Amino acid sequence: MAKHPTRRSDITARLVEGEMVVLDRERDLVHQLNLTATFIWQRCDGQCTGEEIARQLVEAFDIDSRTAEASVGLALQQFERLGLLERA
Amino acid sequence: MYMLTLKTLDRRVRVDCAEAETRSLLTAAYGHMEGDAGSADLHYTVGRDSARFFIKREGQDLLAAADDGMFLALFDADIAIELQKLRRDLYFVHAAVLTVDDSAFMLVAQSGGGKSTVCWALSHHGFRYLSDELGPVDLKTLRIHPFTRALMLKTNPPANYPLPATTVHTSRGRHVAAADMPGGVCESLARLTAVFFLRYDAEAREPSIRGISAAEAAVRLYADTLNALAHTGEGLDAAIRITTATACFALVSANLTATCALLADTFKNLPREERRDWARGN
Repeated sequence: MAKHPTRRSDITARLVEGEMVVLDRERDLVHQLNLTATFIWQRCDGQCTGEEIARQLVEAFDIDSRTAEASVGLALQQFERLGLLERA
Repeated sequence: MYMLTLKTLDRRVRVDCAEAETRSLLTAAYGHMEGDAGSADLHYTVGRDSARFFIKREGQDLLAAADDGMFLALFDADIAIELQKLRRDLYFVHAAVLTVDDSAFMLVAQSGGGKSTVCWALSHHGFRYLSDELGPVDLKTLRIHPFTRALMLKTNPPANYPLPATTVHTSRGRHVAAADMPGGVCESLARLTAVFFLRYDAEAREPSIRGISAAEAAVRLYADTLNALAHTGEGLDAAIRITTATACFALVSANLTATCALLADTFKNLPREERRDWARGN
């Protein structure tokens, strides 16, 4: 997994009332992200590491760091599995 | 030669029928759209010879069909695509549409999801018919154009929703003319106020419904949009425009009468000006 996860540049994404809708025309798939996944997706900008995203998640959602790290790890795995991130 | 002129989506379609059988089939399916003759935006010649039905559109290769059901299916598919080209400004959703007063709702379902069957049943419960297959939405006003092709059922409905004697049976289904819909037909544009994403569950004992977020609804709606790429943002913005302005629900259908009652109760109890918020449980 990339140290600084980066969203694919050709993806169309829209924030809809707090939830991200992500359109991947290349794979002809459209995804809905929940609030946590949306938060993580917005930080997949090539600047933040997974650890940094987890720290921000702790502050934003008032959760413990272990839960945040697990959430970020799972979300990034799913983004990667769905091909939504630039390849490392 | 028999000539049939259809008027839909503010466009005129001329169909020249080489013989009576094809004209009869098209009249059964599209007769409610029959309009005055005039300058046509789209022109077909259809007919039947000893071996097959054929469809010829200006500038295109001939389409051939082995039987009546396939003939109508090919015509349906072709005219749907051509109308999308003629009205690129509209957002075409694969949906059935019904109305009450001046409010419309869409029934969106995957193939086999029971959309037409529920549409047929709802017509017995006071809802007016606007479309069975195409929901062409004007994105500026969120009004839907009527597309009153005959409703097509792949199988017979339950006995308490019997088909009229005038139903036309083809190899692919039963076609009920718009004029025979028990609840009547909506002849004009209607404002879209709700979208029901329908799924049939053979295991479910009772139907169930839940309000869904605009994001979830946009994802579901986008999957059933026919001309998304004709719109900005690859059509995603239009889907979001619709789902943020309407009440959206996931409806699991079971017993048909109970499903209709649940949908009707939900729709009719939506506060007129607050449908969107109501669906989200606010």
